[in-house]
Amino acid sequence: MNSLKGFSAPIVAGVALFGLWEGVLSVFSSDGFVLPPPSEIAGAFIDNWDAVFRGARITGFVVVSGLAAGVILGVLAALLVTRFRTANETITPLAVAVNAIPIIALAPIFNNWFGLTSPRSNQAIVVALVFFPIFINTARGLTQVDRSQIELMESYAAGRARTTREVRVPNAMPFFFTALKLATSLAVIAAIVAEYFGGRQDALGPMITQSAGLTRYDDAWAAVLAGTAIGAVLYASVAVLERWAMPWHSLIRSHREET
Amino acid sequence: MNAIHIRGATKVFNPGKSSQVEALADIDLAVEPGEFITLIGPSGCGKSTLLRLISSLALPTTGSVEVNGKPAEQARLDRDYGMAFQTSGLFDWRTVAKNIELPLELMGWSKADRRRRSSEMLELVKLGDFAKHHPSELSGGMQQRVAIARALAFSPSILLMDEPFGALDEMTREHMQDELLRIWRDTGTTLVFVTHSIPEAVYLSTRVVVMSPRPGRIAAVIDVGLGDRQASTRDDPAFFSKVTEVRAALREVEG
Repeated sequence: MNSLKGFSAPIVAGVALFGLWEGVLSVFSSDGFVLPPPSEIAGAFIDNWDAVFRGARITGFVVVSGLAAGVILGVLAALLVTRFRTANETITPLAVAVNAIPIIALAPIFNNWFGLTSPRSNQAIVVALVFFPIFINTARGLTQVDRSQIELMESYAAGRARTTREVRVPNAMPFFFTALKLATSLAVIAAIVAEYFGGRQDALGPMITQSAGLTRYDDAWAAVLAGTAIGAVLYASVAVLERWAMPWHSLIRSHREET
Repeated sequence: MNAIHIRGATKVFNPGKSSQVEALADIDLAVEPGEFITLIGPSGCGKSTLLRLISSLALPTTGSVEVNGKPAEQARLDRDYGMAFQTSGLFDWRTVAKNIELPLELMGWSKADRRRRSSEMLELVKLGDFAKHHPSELSGGMQQRVAIARALAFSPSILLMDEPFGALDEMTREHMQDELLRIWRDTGTTLVFVTHSIPEAVYLSTRVVVMSPRPGRIAAVIDVGLGDRQASTRDDPAFFSKVTEVRAALREVEG
């Protein structure tokens, strides 16, 4: 009952927003040229279902594969810098410096490296964009540990690997999941913007640029809607994964809200 | 054999640098098995550092620390002592029972033995109904009791406690002191306890070690000799005279 109440308010607000959008446009801009009403976008989504679905599958693959690779690399790098001081002194400043590069701006250059029509360049952009928040946040979670917990493990003569497993990893989980949620939306943005510059031509990115170029804005919006769906599904999956991986965390949150 | 024997221990942090700090100088202390020793002194007198030397979480710059007749480092590797800190240091991701079982897991106890032991320990600290709870669902005093149960779970011969009741309110604190004394009597553990509170030091210990700051030294060792503590001990004139004696010693070192 409680969870239902939690869902009903945003649904009502969402329906109201779409209603307002539809209503305002029908009065002020009936041609739907600047902004098509939701009904037209939904129509375009259904009419072009085959193309939209194919595009979503291609872009979705770029997003998920790039996200997975970026997360794995980010977590490995974080474990490495926490374990070895020299690695920390080498990788961390380098990572911060590389992070200052507007990675999305590298998309046309990556196309040159991987081939103009290869999705590899798009994946590479996603990996690079996902890597940094995952790396930095996970490393923070692995190192910002309650000192007494580390000393406790030392007093038990526990080895380094055991301390990492028992203390550092669980401590890093909330940091990691915060970064992962951020990374899901970053990954969708990165994939679509990268696709504007190259990669497979039947992906969502080219579908948006081409439809907009032909002033078929309802089709462009349908592709945007598909990208939104990818992001939403990913975010929801991460939220479910988070609850499963850290059952104690929601407990802490609910307890804090009570007191 | 002494439970703890410290000979000529000194501790200098960042030696040779401009940030050099002489934390401890000329520490000599021998603790008998089964004693309850309290370290008390103003901030910066190195009482926590001394506790860390005993536990070999820090190494002395010069001098030696022996625990149960071996170097402190060896005693740590042999898991001769349990520790409790001001923050309970419980793992949020483990249930109360699993927190207590952590040291037992590290020592390779079987699951059944761990289960049995953790429920015994929970009975000892009177939290039998909270085995499946998570630490965040417990009050500060209850968390501290779990931390003590965890420190005692593997029956270490020495228990080291760094201001474990510092964050508790007065009522809980007095209650916890009685609990600790009961556990100490029941288990025969040697206890080294760091505190800021004079009445706490007098009420708990067989001997109070008064420390002076910059660098930390042992200024006085006061035998308490109040016998078995009861509720009336806190109002006993003998208790107050010991409090006065410790206070006078502390005034001297701060003076």
